Amino acid sequence: MRQADPPVGLSRGIHRRGLIGLAALIAPLATVPLIPGMVSQLPTAALFLSYSFGRMAAAYGLSLAFALGYGYLAATRHSYERVLLPILDILQSVPILGFFPAAVIFFVALTGPGSFLGPNLASVFLIFTSMSWNMAFGVYESIRGIPPDLKEASEAFGLRGLSRLRRFFLPATVNRLVYNSILSWTAGWFFLVAAEIISTKVTLPGIGSYLFSAAQTDNTPELLAGLLVLGALIVAMDLLLWRNLSSWAERFRYDQAPSGDAITAAAPLVSAASGRVTRAAGWMARGFVSGVSRVRAPLVSLGSVTVGRLRRGTERRSSTLSKNALHYGLLGTVLVLGWLALIAISVELFRLFTGPITPTVGGDLRLLPLAALLSLSRVVGAYLLCLAITLPLAIGFARSRSATRYGLPLVQIIASFPATALFPLFLVVLLAPLGGEAVAILFLITGMIWYLFFNLYSGLRSLPPDLQEAGRSLGLKGRTYYRRFVLPGIFSAFVTGSITAFGGGWNTLILAEYLGVGGGTSHLQLLGLGEFIDIGWAQQPQGLVLMAGALLTMVTVVITLNEVVWKPLYRRASDRYRYD
Amino acid sequence: MALIEVQGLVKNFPGRHGSITIMDEIGFSVADNDFLAIVGPSGSGKSTLLRLIQGLDRPNQGTILFRGRPVEGVQLDMAMVFQSFALYPWLTVKENVALGLEARGWSRERQEAQVERYVNVTGLEGFEEAYPRELSGGMRQRVGLARALAVEPAVLLMDEPFSSLDALTAEGLREEVLQLWQDPALPPEAVILVTHNIEEAVAMADRIIVLSRRPARVLAGVPVQLPRPRDRKSPAFYELTDYVYSLITEGSAPAPLPPSTA
Repeated sequence: MRQADPPVGLSRGIHRRGLIGLAALIAPLATVPLIPGMVSQLPTAALFLSYSFGRMAAAYGLSLAFALGYGYLAATRHSYERVLLPILDILQSVPILGFFPAAVIFFVALTGPGSFLGPNLASVFLIFTSMSWNMAFGVYESIRGIPPDLKEASEAFGLRGLSRLRRFFLPATVNRLVYNSILSWTAGWFFLVAAEIISTKVTLPGIGSYLFSAAQTDNTPELLAGLLVLGALIVAMDLLLWRNLSSWAERFRYDQAPSGDAITAAAPLVSAASGRVTRAAGWMARGFVSGVSRVRAPLVSLGSVTVGRLRRGTERRSSTLSKNALHYGLLGTVLVLGWLALIAISVELFRLFTGPITPTVGGDLRLLPLAALLSLSRVVGAYLLCLAITLPLAIGFARSRSATRYGLPLVQIIASFPATALFPLFLVVLLAPLGGEAVAILFLITGMIWYLFFNLYSGLRSLPPDLQEAGRSLGLKGRTYYRRFVLPGIFSAFVTGSITAFGGGWNTLILAEYLGVGGGTSHLQLLGLGEFIDIGWAQQPQGLVLMAGALLTMVTVVITLNEVVWKPLYRRASDRYRYD
Repeated sequence: MALIEVQGLVKNFPGRHGSITIMDEIGFSVADNDFLAIVGPSGSGKSTLLRLIQGLDRPNQGTILFRGRPVEGVQLDMAMVFQSFALYPWLTVKENVALGLEARGWSRERQEAQVERYVNVTGLEGFEEAYPRELSGGMRQRVGLARALAVEPAVLLMDEPFSSLDALTAEGLREEVLQLWQDPALPPEAVILVTHNIEEAVAMADRIIVLSRRPARVLAGVPVQLPRPRDRKSPAFYELTDYVYSLITEGSAPAPLPPSTA
């Protein structure tokens, strides 16, 4: 009887979301007649979009094959698991977009200069990396999550080989694969557009470069036509593909997870929709932290040996303090020394293979610490603004049933539109009145905000009802209610959302600190790591060492943040602020 | 004047095909020093009834009077003990017990003294700094009880408080609750206990309200006049338990009360 519940709620929800989606599609269409010349641009825009779509589809096909193979191997063979999972962790804990220029250089070198194939391969590869790990983990986790009794039953009935794969393993992965595919496409669009915008040095025709060149020539009809076709494709895929796939995938669920009772009719839709974001995001966060911890494990064991020796004979509390101080001191030293050493090595390698370092590049290399500091402040600033926006917003949404019912589907559609596609437009319209720093922060916010919002929202929605009721019964109100119940209750979701938001922020930085359109009139350039990666790439080959240095610095900053901020918070969340 | 007066209560819940009536014309009253048990089959809305009484939820029809005034909004002169304990996992035992006092704006010193008193009364000494997850089920429900008693409520509402505990622990805790109840120095003027365990109701309550299957109606109000401490093996105890049991299973037409208890 409970199984019959989700489809009913879901189809009703889908219907409602469909209407809102259509409205979201029609509203911009209404502007078509208002802008002369836009209609004639639509076919060209659609053609460019089809190139991009081809790249997305290719990358998705690769990701699907990769995810099934990788996830299956990692989940069924223990010896593979030990190797494959850490690789996956590391793959997704680096800011992927930063490595795009490096990937372009690699693939262009592989296919020969001037080749059409090289940049395309690089782009597909970048999209692939943004799509695949989350799906691979989905496959891994769903195979691992198969109830043991089902596994035994399949063995008892003698299912073997291909039929075992087809009847047993594949169906187990369908549900997660569909949800994670939706997530992967969202991430993929973001990176695809970013890659096409960055790759001004090489020809990569697609919707991103179309929008970028439209902005560069101040061609508003073209710009709007591009945004319109992209939006139409995303909404259409949501309505026609993902929605049907999701309700079909519901059939492959083992768990009869509570889908909200009759009293909160909107719950199944919301939990399904936000669940798919959070589940993957939650893993992202875990992977983020554990990936880094694996890299760092040797350092720590070194540290604890030393600490253990020093600890004897001291009082317990102060020893914990000194242990922490020592731990962080040691970690800081190792990170700084490692960073310096890697920079030095890249400089030497560059000297060896490419030639002497130009004074400009040398000066920039010396600015790396300052650039890191500036980039970090921008990301932190954007993060704080995101938090100030999303926390009240999420609370408002979680409290109001009508906001959940009508607002949330709209938010989900907006969130699935790649913010990068709007960057050229933002730049043209906002750079002059707001200034570079403000626009950069705005870009960062668009790249960070949804992770935080959906995590906070779903954290609020999953506050245990009995604790809510107990709070009301005890008369908890206002500040006490939030301080004692709501904020601790969503702490884990907050940490997960923050970690993933920062991941999004570092990626967006590559565009936010360096982007120029309109023949130099709208040129955004701010000192920072993202800028160095971009200008390093733009000035090949002299700049390559700067690009490498900036990348190394960014990775170092990310690792440091994880160690100093996120890991302790994450440990605290899973220690103290968990329900059991 | 009755402490609590429940009159003509109707409660509907929205279902998939229109609204479902789960409670129909429920009425009873609770006097000072009353230990009332509400029993009924599962799904008869017993827990909802408790929530309506504290004002955590609103009825669709009917009124609840508390000391002669209609219940509107959450009544802070009542406190609830939950089946799931509903303890905040990130707060220590002490902080959980103090929560109601904090909500009422008590000063730190007053909170401390009050918490100490009720931690002792419920046998939680030594566990003040522990977190709920470090405690056994029985100990957790003691925290739930201490938290409810600490606000010194006029009415203690208990929603299946022993149902999540193993049989032995539940029995021990029942005895302790009865002892607390009989201590005139301790707060509640009345207790309303919701349970599906008929023996538990007969063992603890002065009066049992028997509800029918959905939509719930009051089948009978059965006084329990067995002397305390009650002997579960006595024939009178058996007869009364049997009587309530047959009321619930037969659904209506209450047979005359057995002579030994009337």
